[in-house]
This record gives sequence, structure tokens and C-alpha cells, in this order.
Amino acid sequence: MAGRQKEQWGTKLGVVLAVAGSAVGLGNFLRFPGQAALNGGGAFMIPYFISMILIGIPICWAEWSVGRYGGRFGFSSCPAIMGVLGRHAAWRYLGVLGVLIPVVIYMYYVLIEAWCLGYAWSYLTGKIDLGQDPERYAQRAGEFFGHFVGIEQDGVTLAGGLQISVVFWIIVFALNFVLIYRGVSKGIEAFCIRAMPLMALCALLVLVRVLTLPPNAKDPEQLNVLNGLGYMWNPKPVDEGQPWWAALANADVWLAAAGQIFFSLSVGFGIILNYASYVRRNQDIVLSGLTAASTNEFFEVCLGGLITIPAAFVFLGATGVGGSLGSSFALGFNTLPAVFEYMPLGRAVGFTWFFMLFLAAITSSLSMLQPAIAFLEEGLGIGRRGSVTLLGLITALGSFFVIYFSKNLVALDTFDFWVGNALIFVAATILVILVAWVFGAERAYAEAHRSAALRIPRVWKFVIKYISPTYLLTIFILWCCRNLPDRVRELGGNQVAVLAVLVLAAIIAFLLVMVNVASRRWGDPRRHVELPEEQIA
Amino acid sequence: MTPAGWVFMSLSIGFVVALTAFCFYRVLAGPVDESSDESRPGATEE
Repeated sequence: MAGRQKEQWGTKLGVVLAVAGSAVGLGNFLRFPGQAALNGGGAFMIPYFISMILIGIPICWAEWSVGRYGGRFGFSSCPAIMGVLGRHAAWRYLGVLGVLIPVVIYMYYVLIEAWCLGYAWSYLTGKIDLGQDPERYAQRAGEFFGHFVGIEQDGVTLAGGLQISVVFWIIVFALNFVLIYRGVSKGIEAFCIRAMPLMALCALLVLVRVLTLPPNAKDPEQLNVLNGLGYMWNPKPVDEGQPWWAALANADVWLAAAGQIFFSLSVGFGIILNYASYVRRNQDIVLSGLTAASTNEFFEVCLGGLITIPAAFVFLGATGVGGSLGSSFALGFNTLPAVFEYMPLGRAVGFTWFFMLFLAAITSSLSMLQPAIAFLEEGLGIGRRGSVTLLGLITALGSFFVIYFSKNLVALDTFDFWVGNALIFVAATILVILVAWVFGAERAYAEAHRSAALRIPRVWKFVIKYISPTYLLTIFILWCCRNLPDRVRELGGNQVAVLAVLVLAAIIAFLLVMVNVASRRWGDPRRHVELPEEQIA
Repeated sequence: MTPAGWVFMSLSIGFVVALTAFCFYRVLAGPVDESSDESRPGATEE
């Protein structure tokens, strides 16, 4: 790494907002409320906060700690940092997950990001017309979404000229790469410092509108904001006829809560590791990590938990909301547009809401590109221009695959299941074992406290060594039991799903070859030395 | 909205708001970040 000036964050607040921006995404506003309402309402918050304390925050601190440690050796990519931590080349190959997962998620996430911007634009220009019949708003919203994303047929969004969703995909895709090209400080940080407050402002505007909604004239006693909040927050059993605390004895509730906190904080798959590597060696990470995590929770619990379900309940009632709770897409793109149609000032609220979702998405998608850029730069010695071009080409091809195979969103769903869910569990488990058992919990604890502004409780060492991996493995096994049989059966009857898995296999093979090339360039992982101070800070 | 619903909502939101406020207070009230100098390297150069 000699002769190379390592990138760094410009400010403490900048790194906090960049990491928080990476974590805050569509799931905070669409997935969390649905999961909570389905899994015990207020009772869901008990396993949710316990999971935050036992896996979310501990893994977050572990990743920050070893990420900054890897940065001291001049590395920012997961394969290189895992090689340094494990002092064996095999860890570099396992570290490929820290490049693969963000890149593959980017391929479909950028598309959803484009839908959000496209919807915001459609609200602004009045292109979303759900007709005059309130009874058909939900149906028309579903039809609009289906047409927008090409859900009826493969390739339909690319036929007969550019569809609006593809135009926005091009815009959003280009914007991501322009920001990435500008670098960590001048691109990602500068953007997040502006986007995060703007996102909070948009969310607060929508929140005020929702909380001041008048009762629905059809049934003001039932269909009002207070009952909407009750639908979300009243503790309730999952099965009728039991007391609410029976929800706490339900394994599915714990699985849902752990999964939500785990995916929401974006821990364990290389993004925080990468971002933390750009932190100066004497800059705090304990407080920064906790601040980023709490910011994510603020958006999720305080904004997501108060907006989505109550707004939908006032206009659609329990029956109308209930059907879309299990699907973020159904809630976000079918139910809510129907709700905005009913709502006074609905068009302005719709624009604000989808623009906010777009900001949430782009601050996340930027974080998915940077790990791969770092890998190409430090592993293959490619400059910024070359690495951005190469990654742009690879992700454009993958994203194009998802756009083309749009029928029932099978390609997107397959990528999300195998990479956005299954592999994330695997990557996080590997990372926790590496940090706690190979690098050593004691060393990671000491490393975290270098210039720390807060003390991590000593029990963290026990938690990260025993509790977090056990918890992770348990929910992963439960998750596999619930989901894998159906998915494997699906592969037998769906050619697009099979093709998507083959594409994933090809990407994994390509990245493993790249790690092999990089590994030769990096040399013996036991002989890395820390970069001199002037090249770091 | 039942009383239990109010309790769960208030405690959850109160906890998160308090934690976030505490963290941001500590971040913003901490020592001035010397790295905020615009002249610091912001992009990778070979």
C-alpha cells in the first residue's frame, strides 16, 4: 500500500450521518411497522430491544472496532481486513461476502430507489391518477405499480421506448456513481450531511400531517388516528384468544424481531467495516457507532412506527391494512398511494413521502458501492476512474437482469432471498466468530477503546463471544427451517429463479478469482504493517 | 389505543429519543474535530 494516501472522513458528524444513512432505508418505514403490527404490536418491542442489545449494538461495535483497525494497515475492503484480522489467506476468501453482498443488493436496491424517485416525480407532476371511485383506489394503485415496474411480463419496461421507471433507474444509477467517484469525504459524506436532515424534515412533515388527520367520516368512532396508533402499538397475541404476553412465547415473534433489528442496522456484511476503515486512528468509534445505531432507531421507531400504519388505518381500516403488512412493496407502493388519494393534501404528502424514501434509499445504496470500490482499488491496483467504471459495468449488467426479468419480480426476489437474507446471516456469523474467537474479543475491546468517548460495558466481551453467535445461529437455523424448503422447491419450477441463482454463482466465482489476484498482490497476511501516521491522519 | 398501548409506545419512543439525544449531545459537545479542515485529503490519489 506504500505511496498511497488513504481516504478519510472529514468530520465526526459526517461519519455518523454516513453510517446512519447506510442503515436507514425503506425497511425502517415499510418493513418495521408491518413486522411489529403482525407480531404482537407493542409486545414486539420487547424482543426487538433485547435483540438490539444482544446482537445489533454488539456486532455494530465489533465491526467498527476491527474496521478502524484494518484501516490502520491501509485497507478498507472486507477481504483485506479479514486477512489482517485472521492472519491467514483463507479469511480473505471468506471476506468476499463483504463485497458480494453489498454489490448484489445494490443491483436490485437501486431499482427500488428509482421507483421511489419515479413515484415522487409522478406525484409532483400529477401522473398518479387513481380515478374518482374511492372503492377502487387500492386496486388502481396496484395496477399503477404493476405497470410501473413491469410486473405482468418480462422485458415489458424495456419494450417500446424507455418507460418512466427505466428513465429514473438511469438517473439514480448515474447519481450514485457520480457521488462515489467524488470519494468518501467529498462524495458520500458531503451528500449524507445534507440528505439526512432533509430526510428527517420530510418524515416530520408527513408525521405532522398523519397525526393531525381528521377522523374518517365513514366511521369516525373507529377510523381515527388514535385507533391507528392502537393498531400498531397495542400489545396483542399473535393467535386470538390468548393474553398479549403469549406473543413473547412465540418463536416467530423473536425471529421477526431479531431479523428486523439485524437487517435494519446493516451490520455484519462489510458496510460498517468499510466505512469504519476511513475513521482516523485516534478518532472515537464507540460513541459514533452508538449514535449511528440510535439515529437508525429514531427513524424506525419514532417515525416509521408512527406514520405508516396509523395513516393507512384511518382510511382503510384494520381489514384494508392487514392484507399488506407482510409485504413492504404492498404496503409502500399499493396501500399508501391509495391512502394519499383519500388524504387532504395527499399529492403533496405523497411527493414528500416518496422523496423521503428516495433519500433513505440513496444514502444506503452509496454504502453498498464503496466496499467494492475499495476492493478494486486496493486489491487490483485500479485507480478511482477505472474502479468506478468497472463496478458501474458489473452492477449495470446485474441491475439490467433484474429490470428485464420483472415478471412478478422473481429476479429481484431471488437475489433478495439468497443474498439480502441468507448470505447476510452467514457473513455476520463469520465476522462475529473472526472478531470474537480468532482476532480475540479482548483485543477488539481494547481496540474499540482507543480514543473512545464512551466506555463499552465489559460484558460486551462475553456477549460478542457467546451470546451474539449463538443468537445469530439460532435465528438463522429457524429462518432456514421456515423458508428454505419452499425456496428450494421454487427452483425446480421457475426458470428465472434458477437463472438468477446461476448469475449469483457466476458473480461469486468472479469475485473469488479477484480475491486470488488481490491476495497475491497483498502478500502474506501475517506480514502486514501499520501505515505511518502521515499516510493515515 | 389501550393504556398498555400508550405504555409501550411511550416507553419505546422515549427510550429511543433519549438515547439519540444523548448520543448527539455527546458528539456535538465533544472536542472540535480537527479533521474538519477542508484542506484535508478527501479523495484517493495514487
